[in-house]
Amino acid sequence: MKYTTFNQKVSNPLTEPMFFGNPVNVARYDQQKHNIFEKLIEKQISFFWRPEEVDVSKDRVDFQKLTDSEKHIFISNLKYQTLLDSVQGRSPNIAFLPIVSLPELETWIETWSFFETIHSRSYTHILRNLFSDPSDVFEDIVLNDEIKLRASDISRYYDDLIFATQLWQTQGEGRHHVDGQDYLINQRELKKKLYLCMNSVNALEAIRFYVSFACTFAFAEREMMEGNSKIIRLIARDENLHLTSTQHILNIWARGKDDPEMKEIAEECHDQARDIFIKAVEQEKQWASYLFQHGSMIGLNKDILCQYVEFIATHRMSAIGMESPFEVTTNPLPWMNNYLNSDNVQVAPQESEISSYLVGQIDSEVNADDFGDFDL
Amino acid sequence: MTSETSISEDMDKTRIIYQVRLVNTPGPLPCTSKCSLLDSLESHQLEVHSHCREGFCGACRTKLIHGEVEYITDPLAYIDDDEILPCCCVPKSDLVIKLG
Ligand code: FES
Ligand SMILES: [Fe+2]
Ligand SMILES: [Fe+2]
Repeated sequence: MKYTTFNQKVSNPLTEPMFFGNPVNVARYDQQKHNIFEKLIEKQISFFWRPEEVDVSKDRVDFQKLTDSEKHIFISNLKYQTLLDSVQGRSPNIAFLPIVSLPELETWIETWSFFETIHSRSYTHILRNLFSDPSDVFEDIVLNDEIKLRASDISRYYDDLIFATQLWQTQGEGRHHVDGQDYLINQRELKKKLYLCMNSVNALEAIRFYVSFACTFAFAEREMMEGNSKIIRLIARDENLHLTSTQHILNIWARGKDDPEMKEIAEECHDQARDIFIKAVEQEKQWASYLFQHGSMIGLNKDILCQYVEFIATHRMSAIGMESPFEVTTNPLPWMNNYLNSDNVQVAPQESEISSYLVGQIDSEVNADDFGDFDL
Repeated sequence: MTSETSISEDMDKTRIIYQVRLVNTPGPLPCTSKCSLLDSLESHQLEVHSHCREGFCGACRTKLIHGEVEYITDPLAYIDDDEILPCCCVPKSDLVIKLG
């Protein structure tokens, strides 16, 4: 079916499925089939932040004090997060917008992706402060084997869905021969690809950041790289919201509250979806080994980190009705919760270390003492 | 029913203590309607999994076996019909819950 940017066919968005119904025409939010997405949009917009508001200049001094193995941990994590947000800043738009059928979900997808672009911009902000020329770091992202291994798994399900949708849009249902390969395109196949893609995105939002988050916050526990940690806390808060959205989508399907065919597919592909999640967990644990290959960092080692990933995975699998193969039942890194608590994220500048949280256009070179009893 | 309505209306003025029982744990814990159920449970030295403490991440998802709660913040995380988010609700009656 050809995509149209303004579908002139009269349709009722209250009876459309989330995906693969009629393309959205009027962007209206006065009525919603699944009002959760409208609430998520509001919440996400209320979280708006700009990387430049967080002063990371103190981190430059801290970074020089890190050991080589700690530098490796810090920079590798930033590279990996840069990859993840590069993918997330575009892929939900490219993969889901052509097939979405509800205005509130369409706008949620755009809002979600937009926030991923803020995350991407924040990595440049962090790296520019650490290196006069951060090119080497960015350039290594497409060369580094460890990152490449993850990149191909993360983009695979998106790419599959995007290509199948393009074939469907241009050539319709049927068997198509492209570049020496056969593709079977029909609604059921497209929906299966969508289901697997959504599961892969859900796994990404659920666990792929957590090894990196744990390292960042372990530095912050030692009062190191605190500007970076502030940024990562803002990112973590956003990621939690993104995860909530993919959990809602998966649960709405599985409970037959949307498209009955998606409920069937959810049952049919349950094992495959679970494998996607478990594979992501395994990759994160391997990432922990890679990070610590030259040595650990204070407060964290590979084993604790792997246990933490399993602990988080168990919770997040159960949220979408998946049985976890992992046995960790108590949180091995309880201090992580303090950093993931949204109350602690945007503290009023006058209440916290003023030097590391600056509002608006205030010169980042300003000294904490200059503020005195400054009241906003 | 009537008494419960008046309880929530009076929430600002009155502080009501309900008994919250945890499955597999001896004895009920007194919890107030004045602060979130999560805060109350933590004040009894219980370790409850939580991240956002604002109802949008789902980390605190808990089974409600018996009783009623009232949300002080609109919960955004996905929960089943028999589940609650202790970080953003208060007890509205005595409760029986099972931590996740
Ligand atoms: S702690 Fe996030 S929903 Fe309760
Ligand atoms: Fe992100
Ligand atoms: Fe995200």
